[in-house]
Amino acid sequence: MAQRLALQRLLALPTRGPLASHGRAFGTSAGRRSTFNVQDGSDFQDRVLNSPKPVVVDFHAQWCGPCKILGPRLEKLVAKQEGKVLMAKVDIDDHTDLAIEYEVSAVPTVLAMKNGDVVDKFVGIKDEDQLEAFLKKLIGA
Amino acid sequence: SVQAHKEEENPRKTMEVNGFMPVPDSYDYDLIVIGGGSGGLAAAKEAAKYGKKVMVLDFVMPTPQGSSWGLGGTCVNVGCIPKKLMHQAALLGQALQDSHKFGWQFTEEVKHNWMTMTESIQNYIGSLNWGYRVALRDKKVTYENAYGEFVGPHTIKATNKKGVEKLYTAETFIIATGERPRYLGIPGDKEYCISSDDLFSLPYCPGRTLVVGASYVALECAGFLAGLGLDVTVMVRSILLRGFDQDMANRIGEYMKEHGVNFIREFVPIKVERVEEGTPGILKVTAKSTTGDQIIEVEYNTVLLAIGRDPCTRKIGLDKVGVNINERTGKIPVNDEEQTNVPYIYAVGDILQDKLELTPVAIQAGRLLVQRLYAGTTTKCDYVNVPTTVFTPLEYGACGYSEETAVEKFGEENIEVYHSNFWPLEWTVPSRDNNKCYAKIICNTQDNERVIGFHVLGPNAGEVTQGFAAAIKCGLTKEQLDSTIGIHPVCAEV
Repeated sequence: MAQRLALQRLLALPTRGPLASHGRAFGTSAGRRSTFNVQDGSDFQDRVLNSPKPVVVDFHAQWCGPCKILGPRLEKLVAKQEGKVLMAKVDIDDHTDLAIEYEVSAVPTVLAMKNGDVVDKFVGIKDEDQLEAFLKKLIGA
Repeated sequence: SVQAHKEEENPRKTMEVNGFMPVPDSYDYDLIVIGGGSGGLAAAKEAAKYGKKVMVLDFVMPTPQGSSWGLGGTCVNVGCIPKKLMHQAALLGQALQDSHKFGWQFTEEVKHNWMTMTESIQNYIGSLNWGYRVALRDKKVTYENAYGEFVGPHTIKATNKKGVEKLYTAETFIIATGERPRYLGIPGDKEYCISSDDLFSLPYCPGRTLVVGASYVALECAGFLAGLGLDVTVMVRSILLRGFDQDMANRIGEYMKEHGVNFIREFVPIKVERVEEGTPGILKVTAKSTTGDQIIEVEYNTVLLAIGRDPCTRKIGLDKVGVNINERTGKIPVNDEEQTNVPYIYAVGDILQDKLELTPVAIQAGRLLVQRLYAGTTTKCDYVNVPTTVFTPLEYGACGYSEETAVEKFGEENIEVYHSNFWPLEWTVPSRDNNKCYAKIICNTQDNERVIGFHVLGPNAGEVTQGFAAAIKCGLTKEQLDSTIGIHPVCAEV
């Protein structure tokens, strides 16, 4: 994707997630604690692989339509789990090495990780019930 | 060679100390491809099929305006793909106009949003860039986003965007570095003008645009910009579409003129200045006549330069390995097996001297070259009778000789030209031009009236031309063409 346009879009994007005011103050502050954007390889090591809590890793891309639907949907449901699971977001163009390492082909690809291992995975968009089940399985198992 | 690898952290020092690079006796890779575009990627993927250890280096030097892009080369990022999509956007605008006569009713005025179109197109390109990364990974081709240049026999230096340098060696190299748009060399060109490298990701609508040049890039861009509703002018130094059949070129020009594109003929810009800041802002262009002393000054929001493309061969260290290039054009002469004067260095794509600058040609040449290298085949790339299409508002498809070249090669008395105007059925109801679409074939009377040139001007020219190209490759004659019953009602039946 052309970089000048990508930058323009980033700057113009309205802030989503934790900082967007939606009236549900409780939901957003919990969201801020449980969802984060991966900064680099060592950040991934610290906050995902070494995380004491299970983590869902959302591999997404700016040019991917379904990712824009799945992202917020997943974030909302992760926040609902009250801190039992965390969510890491990885932009595959910014962190291509990470995406290649975890064999991401299509996006969105979501990995469920526990103690540094991939225990579950899905590709493509899912509805709220399916996501809820996915998260519950990760927390429960 | 051991020395070179040990002192990898400071390759420059090694070179300075030794004064030359030693020839390595074992290589890091079987094949290194410099350039991840149409030709480069095709060659790399093909080589991996034969179990070879392959590396691809791709790096985009940002334009003067700061534009850059991902893996895939010109075609995917700033060429064929976005061009065709924007051309399609313009055609859809025309279709909306036509639709009234076919019964579609809408009262709202139809406007075009540049940002919506550009974002959609860039999203698609982003998915292609990723797709290529995945494809390379799946085929186990090593990819580095780094600038490759030769530093010695069988050795290249790869510099990534952080400035980190690494050395790699390979038994064989393929240069597929492609080209970049040429600038005029006049005051204000790099600071204020854009090129096709910038246009397809421009983060604002270009507005009133001056397109400088009469290449197919210039005419295609002018065409779709006008089709999107912008005020477009084309400044032409001499003729349109040099190298193409001139009768067809003039018909294309006429059509564009009648459909709202302004032409300023026989002028060249000599200065570009910024009158007002903004996105897009206002630029003032000063131009001089090529036939007299007349000077004109005109203002535009955007100036798009499309005066030609230059090969990226001057700064990749070819002198260090002794590869000859044409000093004037920068192109690399190769034999009919795409080999340069240095036996282990090959080249494919737009950088080749005297070869067609088309994506499918680069892909075919790249694949066949690799098959000859590693699969023991002897098939060479056939550069004759390659079909092509120019996606101007009225599309032009061609295969084989232009009328001028046919006359020059075979003599006027040995050529017979069969031609016809046609009126696409879809154009009748909305009362669109009934005498603009045109087709002609050029036959060699000395060779059984063999069809040696095919030209068609009309909608979907690319789709129409492809089949005829295959027929021409089989040696189509006029008689065979006559005895082929047409499909009705389509343009191709003419």
